[in-house]
Amino acid sequence: MISYKNIHKAFDIPVLTGVDLTVETGEMFALFGPSGTGKSVLMKTTLSLVVPDLGDVEVDGLSVYEGPSSNLEKIRRKIGYVFQHAALFDSLNVYENVSMGLPEDEISRLTTAELSRRVWETLEIVNLEPREILSKLPSELSGGMKKRVGIARAIVGRPEILLWDEPTTGLDPINTAAVERLIKRLSTELEVTSLLVTHDVEGGLQMCDRVAMLSGGTLRFVGTPQEFRDSPDTVVRAFVDRAAAIAALDMAVV
Amino acid sequence: MIRPVEGWFAKVGRSYRVTLEHAGALGMLSWDTLVSIATLKVRLKDILTQLHIMGVQSLPIVFVTATLAGIVTSQQGGYQLISSSPQYILGTLVVQSVVLELAPLLTAIVLVGRIGARITAELGTMVVSEQIDAFKSLGRDPISIIAAPRIIAGVLTMPLLVGFANVIGINAGMLMADFDIGLGRETFLYGARLNWHSWDLFYGFAKSVVFGLFIPVISVHMGLRTRGGAEGVGLQTTKAVMFMILSILVIDALFPPLLLQ
Repeated sequence: MISYKNIHKAFDIPVLTGVDLTVETGEMFALFGPSGTGKSVLMKTTLSLVVPDLGDVEVDGLSVYEGPSSNLEKIRRKIGYVFQHAALFDSLNVYENVSMGLPEDEISRLTTAELSRRVWETLEIVNLEPREILSKLPSELSGGMKKRVGIARAIVGRPEILLWDEPTTGLDPINTAAVERLIKRLSTELEVTSLLVTHDVEGGLQMCDRVAMLSGGTLRFVGTPQEFRDSPDTVVRAFVDRAAAIAALDMAVV
Repeated sequence: MIRPVEGWFAKVGRSYRVTLEHAGALGMLSWDTLVSIATLKVRLKDILTQLHIMGVQSLPIVFVTATLAGIVTSQQGGYQLISSSPQYILGTLVVQSVVLELAPLLTAIVLVGRIGARITAELGTMVVSEQIDAFKSLGRDPISIIAAPRIIAGVLTMPLLVGFANVIGINAGMLMADFDIGLGRETFLYGARLNWHSWDLFYGFAKSVVFGLFIPVISVHMGLRTRGGAEGVGLQTTKAVMFMILSILVIDALFPPLLLQ
């Protein structure tokens, strides 16, 4: 379970102004909102990649900011983070990138053959052909492949929680649909808690158990996908309508 | 009348705050690097890679710079001394100029352009593409993996490059003295030995160690503070180069009163 408690964060101007949100264990949760509303910032506070000005985050009862510093180490082992543009390490090949997803002590415990098998299996899980890409550098991969390698790096350590930061950004509609199917499948097969930040509202509504919408620095809506679609809130309605129009345009292009 | 004065004080205050922030962050970075080294978190492979990039790959440009510095010093010295002083003084002038000032300073300036700018741009790109965040999310310490190897390599490489520049610069100056005013090798070396102090060599190397520390520390620090996209990387790299050159010149100016009294 992830609990965000009264999170405040400002970068010159306030971005988050007292966000309280709980993502239950085993749940698949989507966070929506217009650009610049702090969705990714909120997600990054989970691993202290962004430190809130006020408030705390708890992961399975472990406090990130009010507990001992060892908590963060334990929390990092529980969480796999999928970055918006994959954030693969430029100078490392696919094999090295994916194996970086394992904790250092686990890498030193595994034999070379065991480590290779682990990386190999994980690449197969994300529908990549290991033989073809293991030795390739990120610059040699397509956008969709980079995303999958980024996902493989996030899941190779068998995390209990997956944080997805706009995983379909920059992909064409066909690759978007493929990555969304992958997210849904992985969240179910790996039995993880998933928090998904996305601009793809329709995809998020179809995949997730609950959704929330950030607007003006606070949570505007928290509920089920159906409640979100039926919300009488004018801000939510306007957001849903705009997202539907963009999705229709994408489909027309395809 | 009051508003411009208020504005001036506000500007001074902001500059003072920014300077203190940079100084604090540089201190923290140096401390974190020391902790990484002390706790053996830095991989030898990463240090060797950086030694190759900073040291071996810098040899050609250091060679050219040192050669030209030796030639120019010898020519200008010859022009000034030929009618007023004994010619062997040219040996003193070239050796002292190269060892005390030209080799450490010019090598440092070359490294700012070749290594400092590269480190800032590389790390800045890693920041804006979230690779630094990815390291942190995976429980890896970016200081141990990225900063420390570069800083260690800088401190180790710089004295070696300066030693190389000394040899090249002095030999170039000696050849030029022979070619330009017909000053023989023996006479040149006689002049060099006449005013030689071993301390001068230590002084030049001490400078090089400090420059070798400051260049990677500042470039890593500036790289990690990059914000924005490609424009942010470009802007930060320019700032870093200015910051490094100014720091080197200030440190260079502090050395004579500290070590040449």
